[in-house]
Amino acid sequence: MKIALTAVVLALGLWTFAALSLLPLADWPGLPWRVDSLGIDQILLTHGLMPRGVVALLAGACLGLAGALMQAVLRNPLADPTTLGTAAGAQLALVAATIFAPALLANGALPVALAGALAVTLPVLAIGARRGFAPVTVTIAGMLAGMLCAAVATALTLAQGHYLLSLVIWNGGALSQQDWTGARNLGLAFLPALALAALLARPLMVLSLGAEAARGLGLSLAPLRAAAILLAVALSAMVSAEVGLVGFVGLAAPAIARAMGARSLLARLLVAPLAGALVLGPADSALLAVAALGGPSLPTGALTGLIGGPLLLWLLPRMAAQVPPGTEAGDALSRRSAYPGRVLALLLLGVVALSLLTLFGGRGPEGWGFIPAELRGTFLPLRATAITAALAAGALLAGSGAVLQRLTANPMAAPEVLGVTGGAALGYAATVFLVSAPGPLALALGAGLGGALALAALTALALRADLAPARLLLAGLAIGALASSVLAAIMASSDPRAWMVLGWLAGSTAQVTPTGAAVLAALALVFLAALIAAARWLEILPLGAPVSRALGLPLTPLRLALILGAGLATGTASLLVGPVSFVGLMAPQLARSLGLVRAASFVTGSWLIGALLMCVAAFGARTATFPYDLPLGLVATLVGAPWLFLTLLRRTAA
Amino acid sequence: MSLFSLADVTFDVPGRRLIDHLSLEIAEGAVTALVGRNGSGKSTLLKLIAGQNRPTLGQISHAGRALADWPPRELARRIAYLPQVTPVAEGIRLAELVALGRYPWRGALGRFRPEDHAAVTGAMQRCGLDSLADRLVDTLSGGERQRGWIAMMLAQGARTLLLDEPTSALDIAHQVEVLGLVQAMSRETGLSAVIVLHDVNLAARYCDRVVALDGGRLALEGPVRDLMTPEALARVYGLPMEVATRSGYPFAVPL
Repeated sequence: MKIALTAVVLALGLWTFAALSLLPLADWPGLPWRVDSLGIDQILLTHGLMPRGVVALLAGACLGLAGALMQAVLRNPLADPTTLGTAAGAQLALVAATIFAPALLANGALPVALAGALAVTLPVLAIGARRGFAPVTVTIAGMLAGMLCAAVATALTLAQGHYLLSLVIWNGGALSQQDWTGARNLGLAFLPALALAALLARPLMVLSLGAEAARGLGLSLAPLRAAAILLAVALSAMVSAEVGLVGFVGLAAPAIARAMGARSLLARLLVAPLAGALVLGPADSALLAVAALGGPSLPTGALTGLIGGPLLLWLLPRMAAQVPPGTEAGDALSRRSAYPGRVLALLLLGVVALSLLTLFGGRGPEGWGFIPAELRGTFLPLRATAITAALAAGALLAGSGAVLQRLTANPMAAPEVLGVTGGAALGYAATVFLVSAPGPLALALGAGLGGALALAALTALALRADLAPARLLLAGLAIGALASSVLAAIMASSDPRAWMVLGWLAGSTAQVTPTGAAVLAALALVFLAALIAAARWLEILPLGAPVSRALGLPLTPLRLALILGAGLATGTASLLVGPVSFVGLMAPQLARSLGLVRAASFVTGSWLIGALLMCVAAFGARTATFPYDLPLGLVATLVGAPWLFLTLLRRTAA
Repeated sequence: MSLFSLADVTFDVPGRRLIDHLSLEIAEGAVTALVGRNGSGKSTLLKLIAGQNRPTLGQISHAGRALADWPPRELARRIAYLPQVTPVAEGIRLAELVALGRYPWRGALGRFRPEDHAAVTGAMQRCGLDSLADRLVDTLSGGERQRGWIAMMLAQGARTLLLDEPTSALDIAHQVEVLGLVQAMSRETGLSAVIVLHDVNLAARYCDRVVALDGGRLALEGPVRDLMTPEALARVYGLPMEVATRSGYPFAVPL
């Protein structure tokens, strides 16, 4: 209770400070507040600050309730609108509607936000359903979906230039208000939702015994799950529509409620909204106070993201006891190729053929065709550099993905998840802002340093004995979330230099030098050799720690070496293609579906498929909007992600 | 020299002491049953002597040398450990699984030599798995899969097998088959084995010696017949039991 009181005092004190520095108490208007009889400062107080304080509390309460519902129905202490991709889906829908169909927003943002939230949450949960709602897998799927939405939203923002800067600020979760409608809408949504949640408490309690036991007690699972999820998604969409992206409050609130002594599920459902309000209230008031003192006006969502990343890390070791054993099992394989050698040879042939085809072929001013002889001297070296770099980046990412999937025995593991790319993005942003007119070398160094720091943090976590590989992935996601909230704050600062960072985030091969491409290619080849040399280890590791140890594997140094190798390869590749491409997740999945099962053929096949995919993406990026280049990472994401989700849906659990 | 010797070994997890100042010698060339109630520390003790976990206090040595001083692969050539729940071996054929047992001998890069192939074939024959070599491990029955993992331990060439409840998921015919195999190998080639078992009658039938734990402390250690008295069983399990003998083997039933 002491925490709660402190939070209340903090929120009230900071808000009052901000309000008083706007307007001395003596000038505060009496009721009724009629706009025509008030001064500007008085209007700012009664229609800005006051509703903002209420909105912060209500939005926190809504998110807290949504998080508690999701955690209860999925039996997953890591579920919340951020980690399931719900909030990112609503955000993407709103960005897209603003650009392509502003008329849709005429009736309020809620329908659009709700549609986006559902469109992302449902596939994520469908993937989860195929895997027994295993917490780690569901969380990874959700956060990947969220990253995908954020990447697309970034690209749209980039394409539309400065017109969307206000949207970028909204992306960071700004709670500023112009009147009381936001507060009224949230209040009208929250109270009935709380009543409904209380009604769901008892069946959810039965569900907490596990799906099979609940079915044995006569509970029909599907309607209950649907009701609870719909309610939580609606609450989250409501918050998205009113105030934007406010992350991790739903994750924190139930944990705080538990710490405040809410043992039973009903108590947790009722206390979590309070806890959510007590997180968002003080956070927003603090930002108000900072702004009142003459500091920058920062978006609240960036602040909650800063809290959320470390919170996720803190929750991880505590989760271990709550995960039922055996639920994180991998997928059943459909088949196994009888001739892996032939498959690999065909893949190699494909890579070579496609490289040559895209080197000579393409789209010119006269339309599609091969490059004329007189232009070859000028354009072929440029194209060769870009293609080499793309091939190498794809191979590096895919190789990292293959290693991580073997290391964690989880087919959802991906280099995007390691947090290395987030760290690299932060390093890049820091260089852009701290060094005046940085050259390519300074930028590469900055990004490399950022990635290395993130990797070091991850390695330090991995060295803790209790951190199983599956939780390592979540730790990586937490680091990534931390980085992306800092980036969101940078974007919201409306500094022109932010566009440079935004451009890099989407990824491009345009700036690669021939030397850079050659170095990348050499690295990719070295990486492949190392992977093949490590094949016997990669064969044994998926069998788990006890068997690996019993066979005499040097487990700790081996895990560290593999994480470091994968992290370095990812960081190098992401310098070129940006932080998200999904090639590292897709290529190993494809290799498996081609029947490449044994470690050596699996890693080699993944490596080749990664190169192939990135070569296709590079061609698409060059030709789709000729004469303008599209960002490489974006094309790879857009091509790969929908297909990836379909694959994950089709494959059924063992 | 004893196979394992434990000197004042303690193992703690946060908030609980699983093994409490245990000193013990485990004999070489015998099949030793590790028994006790649920939560008495049987599996914990097996993991400690397998080198899976390090004791919080005290020292464990194998063949006169502290476990921590053995290089991992050298230890794996001498001790093979089978966890209670065998992992899912995705997409691996039985022969390939058994061949993984040669890792301690060949490492990450060493080529397979004729003696490695012989060890793999021999282990599969010994476990009666010749005809299943090309089957995927996932598609085998529970008994076949368990024998597959034991074949991997045999291919490892270790002279000591540590088995954690190897029979818990098997029907009585497969239980007898697995334990009979271990007993026969011990009789014929002097192999040592330590087996965590719940069934005292199986222990009495197939094991030579017994170590009984109670609350992380030693309750009983000696030839297996020492366990098969009403007094000893009452001490270990806290349950009145009657012991009778049929066909030369003692068996116990609860009263």
